[in-house]
Amino acid sequence: MYADYAYLIVALPVLAFLLCLFVGWHLPRGGGFLTVLATFSGLILSLGIFSEIYPEGIVHQSMHWFGPLNVGILIDPLALVMLLMVTAVVTLIHTYANGYMNGDPGAARYFSEAALFTAAMLGLIYADNLLQLFIFWELVGLCSYLLIGFWYRKPSAAAAAKKAFLTTRVGDVLFLAGIIVLYNNMASLNLALKPGEYLLQFPVIYAHLAEIPPAQLTLIALGLLGGAVGKSGQFPLHVWLPDAMEGPTTVSAMIHAATMVTAGVYLVARMFPLFYAAPYGLTAVAAVGAFTALFAATMGLTAFDIKRVLAFSTVSQLGFMMTGLGVGAAVGATAVGVSMFHLIGHSFFKALLFLCAGSVIHAVNTNDLREMGGVGKYMKWTMYTMLIGSLSLAGFPLFTGFYSKDEIIKIAYEYGTVINFLPYIFLVVAAILTAIYTFRMWFSVFTGKERSDYGKHESPMIMIGPLAILAVFAFGFGLAAQGGFYNYLDSNFDHYGVDFEQLSSIGGHEILGEHGAVAEGEHGAAAEGEHAAGEGEAAAGEAEGEPWYIEILPIIVAIGGILTAGLFYWDKIKKFDPSQVTGDNDPIRRMLLKGYYQHEIFTGWFAETVVYGTALICNTIDIKLVDGWLNWLSAWVMGFAQNVRKVQTGVVQNYITALVLGVVVLVVVIALATEVGLV
Amino acid sequence: MIPLELYILLASLMFSIGLYGLVTQKNGVKLMMCIELLLNSANINLVAFSANQPNVNGQVFALFSIALAAAEAGVGFAIMISLYRLYGTIDLDNVNSMRW
Repeated sequence: MYADYAYLIVALPVLAFLLCLFVGWHLPRGGGFLTVLATFSGLILSLGIFSEIYPEGIVHQSMHWFGPLNVGILIDPLALVMLLMVTAVVTLIHTYANGYMNGDPGAARYFSEAALFTAAMLGLIYADNLLQLFIFWELVGLCSYLLIGFWYRKPSAAAAAKKAFLTTRVGDVLFLAGIIVLYNNMASLNLALKPGEYLLQFPVIYAHLAEIPPAQLTLIALGLLGGAVGKSGQFPLHVWLPDAMEGPTTVSAMIHAATMVTAGVYLVARMFPLFYAAPYGLTAVAAVGAFTALFAATMGLTAFDIKRVLAFSTVSQLGFMMTGLGVGAAVGATAVGVSMFHLIGHSFFKALLFLCAGSVIHAVNTNDLREMGGVGKYMKWTMYTMLIGSLSLAGFPLFTGFYSKDEIIKIAYEYGTVINFLPYIFLVVAAILTAIYTFRMWFSVFTGKERSDYGKHESPMIMIGPLAILAVFAFGFGLAAQGGFYNYLDSNFDHYGVDFEQLSSIGGHEILGEHGAVAEGEHGAAAEGEHAAGEGEAAAGEAEGEPWYIEILPIIVAIGGILTAGLFYWDKIKKFDPSQVTGDNDPIRRMLLKGYYQHEIFTGWFAETVVYGTALICNTIDIKLVDGWLNWLSAWVMGFAQNVRKVQTGVVQNYITALVLGVVVLVVVIALATEVGLV
Repeated sequence: MIPLELYILLASLMFSIGLYGLVTQKNGVKLMMCIELLLNSANINLVAFSANQPNVNGQVFALFSIALAAAEAGVGFAIMISLYRLYGTIDLDNVNSMRW
């Protein structure tokens, strides 16, 4: 019954968008309650659908659009968990925004754009074909542009919006190219499609993967990966994400937790069979993910804008998720469950962290860690909820982040045993850094002395409420959901009869037949004994001959990282020294703070010399050569015409004379010709 | 009976005079007169051939042509009068305000 109304999940936010856009000015708080109501209805509907189809069913509705294409709704386990997460998190963020945006003259605009943003993301999640996904994907990009540039009078915000739009556009072009190649390949198979089946529909794509040439598969996979890299802020298209902090904090929370950056990971998860079948597809995913995870984490160490710290951590965590999918080359479809688990858990605690940061900024009126300190005295709620979020992000035992990140690191190890240990090493180092920068942020905001004269009050209840709810999820989700979640998602591709063994032979993976089976059994064990999950897995690990430290290492890493951060940033141990944050006199810190001089390299060196120089040469060639001969030709024609047009005297008598002469000549010629015998 | 050749000769002479005048003259009224000569040389031909091979069609056509010539003269002289009012001359070399 609920499934029949699945379209409402997108339709209601669109309605809220229209209402807020046109009549929001007349409503209290810019009509924010409409947006909340719409997404909350989506949550209720998603829960209804969940109760209907769990654990076996899927929802698939589709109708013909044009040519061999269609529009439709596909809710399988993968889409369903995303729907639940997005609607839940976004409902809380919208509620919070009602407090945060109170009094902003653009509130109506904010809520209408936020509603459209939500609608676009939800549509992206349950699209049943790649083209529809791409349309919503672009809509998400547009909304992110509008929302990042929400305070468009601020030049930095306008620039950040432009940067986000253009950077993700690079990825989108690759994505579109991937879709086109895929379409061509699918079309050239001349499939006999049954009624209700269309090209580019996910089940159809899954079913015919094996028939597409492997080289083409790799091409498609790289194109789609390009799209995911752009949207999910992976290296080298990550540059827009930290700048996207220029928007309102609620926008950052939405982008980072639920509605935008997860789209890239979701795309890879959705097309996992394709990546799996494509030679080097998953290797590329793992390489990009692992490098980004470490790279972004190091930059998070030195950022002094509280939101930038969180932004780098998002980039890094997305790298974890990508790696989680990428190492699926070794463990098969289990990787999707593991990665999505981290995605969902991350969206809870990252939304929480951003909203906490927003709460702090709302009161303190600065983003700068150097000007905070001691905020905990005045904002108890914010401090403790943020502590929960930070512990979760750092991977402290029993918190959500511990379970999800731990699992990714573990499958990265399994990947290492058969293919390559690099992703594992990168992830472990990134995990240490995660714990350090998270607690560096927490300590420098909430402990110590007040370093500037800021507003000292707690945020209103409408903002604290969502924080508390998110904190519950950020703590408990991992503990409560892990076993069931893996089992549910592992079955995702079984609905379509995807044969991973066949695909792995195409992809040329050194698939571990027995090992993979063990890995799956491991999750089964985890499902049974929720609390004892650690022990059960440890036992499974020992049986396999995994070294003992694989289980312990994540815990050591998390706690060690937190202690290290405390050593340097906890006021009771070490006085806070603002110059330590900027690290003006330390080359390594300066390098990290500058983000490996990416700005200097890309904008300063690359743009100024290479791009500008090339542009100069091209300009000269264009003006002197290409335009030059064309201009010369047209000038010559003009001059010639100026002279020739004098022939047209406009005096009728001249024409008559010419006419008569012509006739005479004609007559003479004909007469002569007749005489000679030519005619 | 006057032979047909003489009529044709007359018509040719009139046509040539008219053509010469049309090409050389600048005065608008003279040009009109030359056009009349051209037209009427054609009329002479029409009537002459009509009488020569008994068939009345040519003479009927000549009547039409004369009527046309009258109308043409009316319009032509009206133009000349308004030209004279506008420019104070009917020398057509001076009527060149729309020329390049």
